[in-house]
Amino acid sequence: MTTEIGRSAIRSDAVAKTTGAAVFGTDVALPGMLHGRLLRSPVPAGRIVELDLGRVGEAPGVHAVTCAADLPERRSGLVLMDAPLFAGEFVRFEGEPIAAVVAETREQADLALAKAVLRIDEIPAVTDLEEAVAPDAPLVHPEWESFGTPPGMDWPRSGNVVAESVADPDGVVEAFERAAHVVEDRFEAGRQYQAYMEPRMAVAEFDGQRFTIHVAHQFPYNIRDRVAAALGLSPSDIRVVGHHIGGGFGAKLDTGLESYAALLARQVGRPVRLANDRQEDLLTCQCRDNAVIRIRTAVAADGAMLARDVDVLMDSGAHATDIPFLASIPMHVFGSLYRVGPVRIRTRAVYTNTAPTGAFRGVNGTHLYFALERHMDHIANELGIDRREYRLASLQSDGAELPTGQVLEDAGILSEAFEAVEQIAPWAELGRGPNRGVGIAACMWLTNPMPGSATLKLNSDGTLGVLTAATENGSGAIATGVRQIAAAEFGLPVESVVVSMPDTDAAAFDAGSQGSRTTHIVGRAIQEAAVQVRDRILETAAVLLEAAVEDLELIDGTVGVVGAPTSRIPLADVAVAAQAAGGPITGSGSYTTPMPPVNPTCATGMLFPAFPTPTYHVHVAEVELDPVTGGIRVLRYLVAQEVGRAINPEAVRGQIQGGVAQGLGYALWENLRIVDGRYLQRTLETYGLPLSIDIPEVEIALLEHPDPAGPYGAKGVAEPPIIPVAAAIGNAVADALGTSVDEVPITAERVLEAIVRPT
Amino acid sequence: MLVDLTVNGRNVDLDVSSGETLLTSLRNRLQLIGTKEACVEGECGACTVLLDGKPVDSCIYSTAASAGSRVTTVEGLRGPDGELSPLQQAFIDHFAVQCGFCTPGLLVTLSALLASNPDPDRAEIHQAVSGNLCRCTGYVQILEAVETVVREARR
Repeated sequence: MTTEIGRSAIRSDAVAKTTGAAVFGTDVALPGMLHGRLLRSPVPAGRIVELDLGRVGEAPGVHAVTCAADLPERRSGLVLMDAPLFAGEFVRFEGEPIAAVVAETREQADLALAKAVLRIDEIPAVTDLEEAVAPDAPLVHPEWESFGTPPGMDWPRSGNVVAESVADPDGVVEAFERAAHVVEDRFEAGRQYQAYMEPRMAVAEFDGQRFTIHVAHQFPYNIRDRVAAALGLSPSDIRVVGHHIGGGFGAKLDTGLESYAALLARQVGRPVRLANDRQEDLLTCQCRDNAVIRIRTAVAADGAMLARDVDVLMDSGAHATDIPFLASIPMHVFGSLYRVGPVRIRTRAVYTNTAPTGAFRGVNGTHLYFALERHMDHIANELGIDRREYRLASLQSDGAELPTGQVLEDAGILSEAFEAVEQIAPWAELGRGPNRGVGIAACMWLTNPMPGSATLKLNSDGTLGVLTAATENGSGAIATGVRQIAAAEFGLPVESVVVSMPDTDAAAFDAGSQGSRTTHIVGRAIQEAAVQVRDRILETAAVLLEAAVEDLELIDGTVGVVGAPTSRIPLADVAVAAQAAGGPITGSGSYTTPMPPVNPTCATGMLFPAFPTPTYHVHVAEVELDPVTGGIRVLRYLVAQEVGRAINPEAVRGQIQGGVAQGLGYALWENLRIVDGRYLQRTLETYGLPLSIDIPEVEIALLEHPDPAGPYGAKGVAEPPIIPVAAAIGNAVADALGTSVDEVPITAERVLEAIVRPT
Repeated sequence: MLVDLTVNGRNVDLDVSSGETLLTSLRNRLQLIGTKEACVEGECGACTVLLDGKPVDSCIYSTAASAGSRVTTVEGLRGPDGELSPLQQAFIDHFAVQCGFCTPGLLVTLSALLASNPDPDRAEIHQAVSGNLCRCTGYVQILEAVETVVREARR
């Protein structure tokens, strides 16, 4: 029955993607389609003193032009209603939309926008996180108190602090008083651009009553709801249709150009396409947040960690987006891997006059674990204990309790993961030789629990259709994972399972490809749906085969009587018979992970209260630095990863290799420096994405402790591989340098500074 | 201006402005959407096509300058009977495809490499794809796909 599980089945989209036939969002072209472009703010902060679009409207090919003055004043957002469609009196980040034009061609739209008269009195931009939270700091949004939240949802926020989460348990002060050592660090992390290959786009059409929006988006239902909120519509006024996605990595979860396309399509009565060019995509993307993290640990003479005090400042940019959720994550990280006693944590997400930040694979886990694991190295070095040995001596075990009160029943997997990387390459043998270093880092991470669904239909040719609004973002979760699960449920070959493209008119809610959830959640929803479908198959087949339901089995696309090889009937015949008898065979299932119990008073502002379906990971990096250029070469990279069950081992490998590559980019090369509210790097060339020559082959040990609630035991896979990379690399570079490394990315420039810095 | 080209073996005449890029002509005039627009700065390689067998970034190459040339896009990589090329098949078998947006450019680039050097070592493959960005895969399964084709061809 489960032959398709654990097999590297070929992706359903692979032929289309290797022949050029696959239609991505950017390839969608509709009859009569016009082209929209946005006039964007050239400055990070200022007051608009003149906006004259008269000559824009008169330019050749232009059908319409619009701006804030034409619309009712309305702000919207994922959790905080703080984002207007167009800047009104004030602009708050470089790239903020000010006006939109729609024309026959993209070139005409651009030429028309060049005729806009725009004068802005610049205001000094708020960009430094520590300055932004100072008592007398100028406010990015002086009207912050008026921003609405969803019913029943609120959290502490004030001024430039868009979200605050504070845990202040008993015993922290006393522990620091009696500590033999207090180890203290300050870390900084830069922004990371998702740099998906397909820039963000949207095509909208309006039929006089309803909108259809064509997207290449990770979360179509969010687009439906967010466009409705931005335009004052009911969500069911909007149909969102998904196409192949040219990468997303979290940046295609929130809304981008969709509302503008819908607005313009309604205005002109023709389909309208908007697509970012690469520079505006980079400048306005919801990048991974930059952060400043202070961490202090009280350590006893015997090396035991007694208590910890953490202060996190995260840059939300000019809007909240999903950042208020992420302010909870430090509560799941700083007490997670090692025994530490009470942990005081204050996390503040801060408004600045920069592009709003948001979700990127692993969200803030990349810099939180960088801070935790660099700090662990610091403590071990302070104590004169081997860094790996110190971790092993401090490791959490089964039943460990997080600062949230969540119990990690299976935290003992961590020690297996440490052992698994040791089996690949012994710690003591790595990082030897001049200019070489070795680093180790671990992490615990969740499988996103948000709801999803699937409807199954048995087709008259015996194949199985799966209808879901879940999206294939490239990971293979839809193209292989859920197909294999569906196939296994019915004893079908995977080739007999076809999964729909997402369409919010057709499939029920799905929370999008985020947090490694698709295979786990949609796979489980398929299993729920399969119960109904299998019952009808067996009932129908029992009549046709003149056998009892209990004696039947589903195997190789047939229903057969157990032990009677000649008594079997193809599923196609069952489907046809059932259709004539009682109607076509269908079934639907839904699933969301139950949240583990937590202590609701552990901290304020816990919008993301628990880390369900946790997985455990250990990474080891061996590096060599060039003392002349400051460049870092990654010699070896080892990963031990808990996956529950690898539904498709080669696809899992691709997620780990690709996630580590993105992590190496984050750790070493990808750089978005903010100077006076503007990015210094403004092209892919200057941004510094890794090339094939930069990335070693990751050496992988998969750990499989099946999750009883997951489909065939599967847990989340795709997000964790990026998370501990900066930590492992930072530790390896510090080892090679013999001095601390406190900032990511660890660019060649910073390595050279560290070499000449007096210690 | 009138430009005469051969695209994937077919003769085409295009009436284009002097500034039009080959990428625009292929996508908007010839509906060859397999060639992808991703950066329009010649940085990422998603728009790579072959011009008389040599890879070029079609996003920064003018159609006018390609007059009289043979252009091959990803749609032209299949064999005469429509069968997948060994490289296309190897990409599929080795999970060298994730989101797939860089895939056409990589396939075109690597097809040119294999045509000019049927037995490249890993360093030569790295060199060949140094103008192609892939954000999903971390490249290793792509390299393995190429090396499989090379190995099979050696036999």
